[in-house]
Amino acid sequence: MKRDMIRTGTILRLLVFAALLAFLLAPDRFAGLLAPLTNNGAPAIYNQGTLLDLTLSHLVTVGLSTVAAAIVAIGLAIFVTRPAGAEFLALSRAIVNIGQTFPPVAVLALSVPIMGFGEGPTRMALFLYGLLPIFENTLVGLSTLPPAVVETASAMGMTGRQRLLKVELPLAMPLIIEGIRLSAVIGLATATIGSTVAAKGLGEVIVAGLLSNNLAFIVQGGVITGVLAVLISDGFEAVAHRMAKRRGATRQADPDGQQSGA
Amino acid sequence: MIELSHLTKVYNDTAVVNDVNMEIEAGTITVIVGTSGSGKSTLLRMVNRLVEPTEGRVFLEGSDVSTMPPHELRRSIGYAIQNHGLFPHWTVARNIATVPMLLGWDRRKVDARVEELMELFQLDHGQFANRYPHELSGGQQQRVGVARAMAAKPALLLMDEPFGALDPIIRSKAQTDLKAIQRRTGTTILLVTHDMGEAVHLGDRIAVMDGGLLKQYAPAADILARPADAFVDDLIGSADRPFRYLTLGKVRAAVEPGDAEGAPLAADASLYEGLGELLWSGRDAAPVIDAAGAPVGRISLQGIAGRAARPK
Repeated sequence: MKRDMIRTGTILRLLVFAALLAFLLAPDRFAGLLAPLTNNGAPAIYNQGTLLDLTLSHLVTVGLSTVAAAIVAIGLAIFVTRPAGAEFLALSRAIVNIGQTFPPVAVLALSVPIMGFGEGPTRMALFLYGLLPIFENTLVGLSTLPPAVVETASAMGMTGRQRLLKVELPLAMPLIIEGIRLSAVIGLATATIGSTVAAKGLGEVIVAGLLSNNLAFIVQGGVITGVLAVLISDGFEAVAHRMAKRRGATRQADPDGQQSGA
Repeated sequence: MIELSHLTKVYNDTAVVNDVNMEIEAGTITVIVGTSGSGKSTLLRMVNRLVEPTEGRVFLEGSDVSTMPPHELRRSIGYAIQNHGLFPHWTVARNIATVPMLLGWDRRKVDARVEELMELFQLDHGQFANRYPHELSGGQQQRVGVARAMAAKPALLLMDEPFGALDPIIRSKAQTDLKAIQRRTGTTILLVTHDMGEAVHLGDRIAVMDGGLLKQYAPAADILARPADAFVDDLIGSADRPFRYLTLGKVRAAVEPGDAEGAPLAADASLYEGLGELLWSGRDAAPVIDAAGAPVGRISLQGIAGRAARPK
């Protein structure tokens, strides 16, 4: 029964993805659907640039800042969980926390004078905002490994580097991926405000709709962003779940998911 | 082969291991037995430098272990612990191959070794090689843990309560199997346990530790017959002592000429098993046969009892 539910979920996601793709590739075909939301003969589909371009550039902005945040946050978490970096743990926590506390809008406002209008300030804001979830999750992942496993890795003759790459990171990976998922999803939503400083993205459609009082624009911008967030989030979750399940981490929570070998 | 010289470890002004001197002969099983907090695990872990001694030295085949890079030293020493510490994200085969892979063995040699070990530890290669540790029973996990420790044919194997997590029936079989495997491979084993029964069963020599001090280090029979002090005596348990003593002897040693009624006993069985069989079947004596099934004489309650008494 459970398996059936999973299969239904997968089919549903594929359908949603197909619908999204169809809408992005040929939005005009859906004009009739959105027309009732417009007034005074205003256009039903955003026409200041193609929706596909805006979506791709939105994704690139989120992708680049999430990758950068992941590299820095994972690197930092690895550093502070090594003996040499342990004393920097509190300091890095504080710095990363500031990144999260500082509102992205404020980062945008403050970085425009330095970086000018465009994608730069948005990427900076998303990068700072995305550090915390990845850092905290990596930290938890690396510091809650079963002590017997970590000790055995050393006792077998792994060097510190081998232990990190062969044992610690792979075991922490489901949590790390969960952190990246959070950052990417938060980033996807937050990137819409980048349009206020002229970053190309789906926020442009929503802002245009708000300015011209065109509900159709607002809905298409919002729905595309929302659907992307759900699909990306699900994708990450599926990867993390597969990894965790293979090693039996979900066995207690999912008793019929595994067969015992005894 | 291993020499511990004035080995001391101090944590927060307390010596958990206090000036221990020991020499361990190659090819034997030495069991370190003690209560928790006696310093036995710390002592074991100083041999492969998981713990660095505060004072003293460990010599392996004459060379001081503190002069070797820790990771290279550890690749040459097998290590198995209570909760087996198997890597949960690796298959059984990959787990067993850990040290050979670190040593850069050629792929085919690694595969052949994994197969050989799985056979030695009675794990069907086809069935288990690609399973993950969580899919195995406790006993199977433990065997994989020991197989992994022995994968690169280390001359020395360190074991910290390796059977502690097993239920009694599986534990007893695991002990017997380990002893048989050790006799076959000639590996030197240094094993830590809190269970005196396990120590007597496995150990060629037993080291008793208490409060960081080595109280007594002697062959198992000597420990039972002549405990060095009240602590060692307590650890043995006065009621169990004669029976533990009988586990050390073989039926063969108490065979007398003559014949007896009933099912025969194997000459290779321990006197302890012989006594149990006689008592339970209500006989005073039983015939004894050798491994080939040929009669070699008889064994009597009297004969066994004579061997359970404190040696003069």
